[in-house]
Amino acid sequence: MTIQILNGLVYGSLLLVLAAGLALIYGLRRVVNFGHGAFYMLGAYAGYTAAQAGGFWAGLAASAVVLALFGAVLDRLVFRALQDRDPLVTVIVTFGLLLVIEDAVQWIWGTEGRSMDAPALLAGSVALGGDAFPVYRLAVIAMAAALTAALLAWLHRSRAGLFVRAASLDPAITAVQGVNTDAVAMLVTALGAALAGVSGVIAAPFLSLSPAMGGQILVDCFVVVVVGGLGSLGGAALAALLLGQVQVLGAVLLPDIAALIPFLTMAAVLLWRPTGLAGKRL
Amino acid sequence: MSGAGRIAAGALAAAAAGPAIAALVPPGVLLSLLAQACIYAILALSVGVLARQNGMVSFGHAAMFGAGAYLAGIGLGAPGLLPAEAALPLAVLAVAAVCFGLGLIVVRVHGIAFAMLTLALGQACFEAANKARGVTGGADGLTVALPREIFGLPAATFQRAEGMFLIAWLAMVALAALAALLARSRFGLLTEAIRENEERARFLGYGTVLPRAAVFALSGGIAAAGGVLYVLYNGFVSPETVHWSVSGSALIMALLGGTRTVWGPLAGAAVYFLLREQLVEVTERWLGLLGILLVLVMVFLPDGLSGLPRRLRRRHGAEA
Repeated sequence: MTIQILNGLVYGSLLLVLAAGLALIYGLRRVVNFGHGAFYMLGAYAGYTAAQAGGFWAGLAASAVVLALFGAVLDRLVFRALQDRDPLVTVIVTFGLLLVIEDAVQWIWGTEGRSMDAPALLAGSVALGGDAFPVYRLAVIAMAAALTAALLAWLHRSRAGLFVRAASLDPAITAVQGVNTDAVAMLVTALGAALAGVSGVIAAPFLSLSPAMGGQILVDCFVVVVVGGLGSLGGAALAALLLGQVQVLGAVLLPDIAALIPFLTMAAVLLWRPTGLAGKRL
Repeated sequence: MSGAGRIAAGALAAAAAGPAIAALVPPGVLLSLLAQACIYAILALSVGVLARQNGMVSFGHAAMFGAGAYLAGIGLGAPGLLPAEAALPLAVLAVAAVCFGLGLIVVRVHGIAFAMLTLALGQACFEAANKARGVTGGADGLTVALPREIFGLPAATFQRAEGMFLIAWLAMVALAALAALLARSRFGLLTEAIRENEERARFLGYGTVLPRAAVFALSGGIAAAGGVLYVLYNGFVSPETVHWSVSGSALIMALLGGTRTVWGPLAGAAVYFLLREQLVEVTERWLGLLGILLVLVMVFLPDGLSGLPRRLRRRHGAEA
């Protein structure tokens, strides 16, 4: 049972990093990025290639850089150009990007699944209550916690973070105060994409790589941000950890309906409290 | 000629074009492709009706399409219980009825949240189709044996491209004509008013949930009709039919064609299938190219291809 709860925590941690990026981008651009799962997959593959040359940590860094650049370009060319249009138009454009990225990944890396090794430092397993548990999975929890802490510190302790919070609260007033909100949005989109890329690499050693890996996790990510409240990092964190438990414990305790619980929870939250458990109205 | 008369005349002309196309196109791969295209065009039409009347973008219509296919397949699989002639319309009506009930709830959710909700509900149906092995056959799918005759037509008619193309074509034209007539009726105008400004429509004294739920039901019923034709043609339905990539394709067709007109999604489906057929010949990368096309259309032609004539006219008028 401890193992199951830990496994839930591992998946929840992964969702947390991914959903944080989604929530950040929504906060600034009021766009739900349907391509977020594809970013995660692209990040995983980019990291995979870099890791073959320079090992896991090089892969992690390369993925963050590549996806940050990708996010910056996306914001400059798409989000900024479309900011005065119906947000649904931008959402559909991100859906088009999803198709392009999935296809490009199949083109470059092929359709067969790939696997990536955990770094040597974190290979092997430890004994927990009589069961063996991979060290790498514990490291996933630690990495997610560190990333979240760093993100929160940046948002609440730095000047740039202050601008981000202000711009997501009210872009017009923030711009009037002399903040370049377009630059802030570009930074945040780059950061959100980088977080997606990083979570792809983090996932790679324990979930295998495939062009379809983005689709399933995108839906889980939506469940997280909707239940947690879009634009609310705290709510998303809570929802991510809960969903991780529901996924894993549900599969053990209620195998028949476990897969449905997240969707039904999401539907119920959207209808009962459209703002999410803690957050802004869509 | 009145608007309703124009729609009737257009529908009759389009219906007459069906046999002409079937006669001109040699039976084989192309005709089979056209039959599939007509079936998916019905799905795209249903997505378009929801977008046009309710302003709602659905990422989950494969669920209704698949539900229609599964219900029809299950009905045909129990011939002692129901004659096929009753099972097929019942499948459509059942999906429409469920969508009406569901619509009473989900139409309260707007914009991006609705898009996400439909994606999640669609995936829930996909999971359910996978899990409910006893009813749906699970991941293996459901193989459906057609009775010898349905509506007096031999089963082979439904499963051969020549037959199914004509049936699907006529169904597509009839459903599009129905949607067009409804769009210009009082009911259609009311839903458009609600789409533009729900609060104002409420102030005028109209209930806004019921009409929107009715559109959702209509849209679900049209999608289910497409699903019924799908299972008749293929004799098989699996969770892949309910997968969100199917919903995504239908949405792409609807948006490529444009949802300001009822016929836009049909044009979009034609473009989607013909383009795919051409692209597959030269490159495996057709999905990516389609994604690029979708992005370009959304950015530069937000009304889709069917909005092109209007756009050109307006530009021409401005120059004159």
